[in-house]
Amino acid sequence: MNGKRKSGWVALIIVLVFLGGWEAAVRLLDVPVYILPSPSRTFETLAANPQMYLQASALTLGESLAGLLIGVLTGGLLAVLLTLLPGLEGGVMTLAILMKSMPLVAIAPLLTIWLGFGVVPKIVITALMTFFPVLVNVLSGLQHVEPALTDLFHSWNASRWEVFRHLRLPTALPFLFAALKISAPLALIGAVVAEWTGASGGLGRTMWLAYTNLNLPYLFAAIFILAAGGMTLFRLLGWLERKVVFWLPDSRES
Amino acid sequence: MNIQVEALTHIFANSRLQRTALAEINFGVKSGQFVALIGPSGCGKSTLLRLAGDLLQPTRGTITLDGRKPPEMRAAHEIAWMAQSPALLPWLDARQNVALAQRFMPANRHPRLTVDQVLERVGLSDAAGAFPFTLSGGMQQRLALARLLALEASLWLMDEPFAALDEISRERLTTELLDLWQPFHPTVLWVTHNIYEALRLADRILVVSPSPGRIVGDLAIDLPRPRSEANPRFQQILAALRTALGSTANAQVAQ
Amino acid sequence: MRKNFWLLVSFVLILAACAPAAITPAATEPVNTPTAGPTAIEPSPTAAVVEPSPAPVELLPMTFMAGYKPQANLPFVGVYVAKAKGFFEEEGLDVTVEHSAGQGQHLQLLSAGTIQVTNQDAAVLLQRRADPGLPLVAIALLGQKGQQAYAALKSSGIESPKDWEGHTVGYKGTPPPDLFALISAAGADKDKIELVNVGFDPRLLTEGKVDVYPVFKSNEPYLIQSWGYDLNLWAAEDFGVPSLGLTYVTSEEILETQPELLTRFLRGALRGIQYAAEHPDEAIEITLTYTGPETDPAHMRFMLDAELKDAQSDLTAENGWGWQTQEQWQALAGMLKAEGLPVEDDISGAFTTRILEAARDK
Repeated sequence: MNGKRKSGWVALIIVLVFLGGWEAAVRLLDVPVYILPSPSRTFETLAANPQMYLQASALTLGESLAGLLIGVLTGGLLAVLLTLLPGLEGGVMTLAILMKSMPLVAIAPLLTIWLGFGVVPKIVITALMTFFPVLVNVLSGLQHVEPALTDLFHSWNASRWEVFRHLRLPTALPFLFAALKISAPLALIGAVVAEWTGASGGLGRTMWLAYTNLNLPYLFAAIFILAAGGMTLFRLLGWLERKVVFWLPDSRES
Repeated sequence: MNIQVEALTHIFANSRLQRTALAEINFGVKSGQFVALIGPSGCGKSTLLRLAGDLLQPTRGTITLDGRKPPEMRAAHEIAWMAQSPALLPWLDARQNVALAQRFMPANRHPRLTVDQVLERVGLSDAAGAFPFTLSGGMQQRLALARLLALEASLWLMDEPFAALDEISRERLTTELLDLWQPFHPTVLWVTHNIYEALRLADRILVVSPSPGRIVGDLAIDLPRPRSEANPRFQQILAALRTALGSTANAQVAQ
Repeated sequence: MRKNFWLLVSFVLILAACAPAAITPAATEPVNTPTAGPTAIEPSPTAAVVEPSPAPVELLPMTFMAGYKPQANLPFVGVYVAKAKGFFEEEGLDVTVEHSAGQGQHLQLLSAGTIQVTNQDAAVLLQRRADPGLPLVAIALLGQKGQQAYAALKSSGIESPKDWEGHTVGYKGTPPPDLFALISAAGADKDKIELVNVGFDPRLLTEGKVDVYPVFKSNEPYLIQSWGYDLNLWAAEDFGVPSLGLTYVTSEEILETQPELLTRFLRGALRGIQYAAEHPDEAIEITLTYTGPETDPAHMRFMLDAELKDAQSDLTAENGWGWQTQEQWQALAGMLKAEGLPVEDDISGAFTTRILEAARDK
């Protein structure tokens, strides 16, 4: 059994032990369900409402992915722009930091007023949360090319575009994945938080409704889904990274 | 390609201080000569190389390559550059790395050697599909040499290319380098710290002294290659070289 | 390298395809389809609007935004029932129901004109008119008594607000004016009472983290009692402190420009409330089509019953649901002012009986 598969089993065992301990604690200590529900009760709730949770998850996932896509494209394109026109860097970065610093709680209602009750404000909020890591990381990757390589391309009399295409872009790929690994979970959180402050559907709304009814099994069922979703997304990105950025040591199998 | 350097001066300056890297350097190199530049760290050898390769523009003075300026020669792809780091693109395999060098050639240049022929000459045919991260340091530098060869340039500027390698790899590659150089005989400017390496490779050694950089020694090596340390003439030249180096301040003689 | 580039591109394209695909089937409508539990009412609320009306009558569209999530608050129930039973349709209205998260967007949207009617607590309405000056007008006063009360576990032995001295009393947000008024009306010394900012979490009371907890009469008591605890409750009006509850609220501009629309809405909604009072079980079933499966029907019934009780007074017995008078509002304003809160000197613009009267004369 090679290293990766073994660590997968270990992770699974840890999760099962954790859930088992939680179940035992709730039963033995007779914890009321409105304080902390047991995992079994939570899974029961999930199993009893498959359609609702499926719909809610699909909506939240859709908002996250859409927001992530927009955030990544925006961040990436901005980074490319700033590499080609370095004079803009100061101004654009200041604006970006300003936008990043605005508290979600304040913007979300404003966006609802401007963009309506539907999914659009949620997607915008998610995009706002995810574009900054991408901008910063991809810009860093595009700029921090090994000087020996830029010398080489210079000696080959390569044009600025050729340098960009053959050197800067591939160099930026590992940085892009680093940013994605940060942004993807953020996108999920962003969609949930955006829904929390007012939505007609999605896991965030389900969680908020459940909480205000103090119906904790429903709340925790949604939390389980989010945890599983975040983990899956992360692993998926890791797999993709190993495939695309094959030349870096930590993405390779030992 | 012959090289003419006249009153070459280069000063690095920023808002706070100024450092004269090279002061009034004068020398000439005949076409096809293998010239080693040796001297302690920071004496301007690399700067001289970068000026020749149009990676820097001189503050004063001139460098001419076959009567023309470095930017022209660079645009004509007559200059090949190799540094201490192999500078291979890690996302391309060996063949693709070499091919990339030929990709930027102007339309009127047609390389005589194919990528596979070049790889064969450096002994990397079996590794043609391998990626740089799977190759040892020595093999990576060999691949960089292959890339250099593929350019078919008439001037090779090489900045301590074997400095990061272990002794054994360095020995082997030094021999291989000569095998690659001799058929085509480009002009070579080779920067090194290693006097044995310089003696084994070069037709001529220029000793450079630091702060500001000046040429304080110009030794011709009239020994046939391959050269052996057992040869008494070798020892003579070695002694002369040591003297010349000793006269430079902060001399660092590499062993 | 090339193949990996295309792998990345295909990933991005799949992402782009998944996103809208995931969003569209789930749609943006609230969970209107009946889920496990309540049996479906026919016609379901959305169907009432989607079904083409037999007569070629153009239904006037408008939006009602509930000030909180879907539940059996009386103003919401009136609208839910009116929509389900076709009362709005009979008034020639096509009412879209939205829900707010309870952080004030409904007032912003009303002031912006995006929605036409929402609901609001009377005391908050008066304060918002003064600061920041929102142009709100109450067209009906459903809560003839205030919504809030204070609860302690019976087992704690706290029998009256005088006993609050030496204990912790929670408040949500900022200390509400009726709290201080109640304390002084009961003859207790507020300096001997430790006030604590709590959020929505009645478990703080049952787990002993706080001695007295602020509740909405129609909400938390049900939860706490269902967990097996008995409560002592105290409300402002029991101690002669003026308090009023929820209102249907609109903006001054809409009142000015669309009184006909408001009249038709109010007529339908009040009919809905009447129907709910007469058929509470059915009203709850209709409400459950708006809430999700995490809602307890018994909880909703408790809420409806409690709010129906507080919606009835001598005034409403004589004038019908939602009646309001200058005296009621003046008393409330006086209490707020006495507690140092911003209130207009002339509060007659805060409410109107015009729409109530128009709705009455059919």
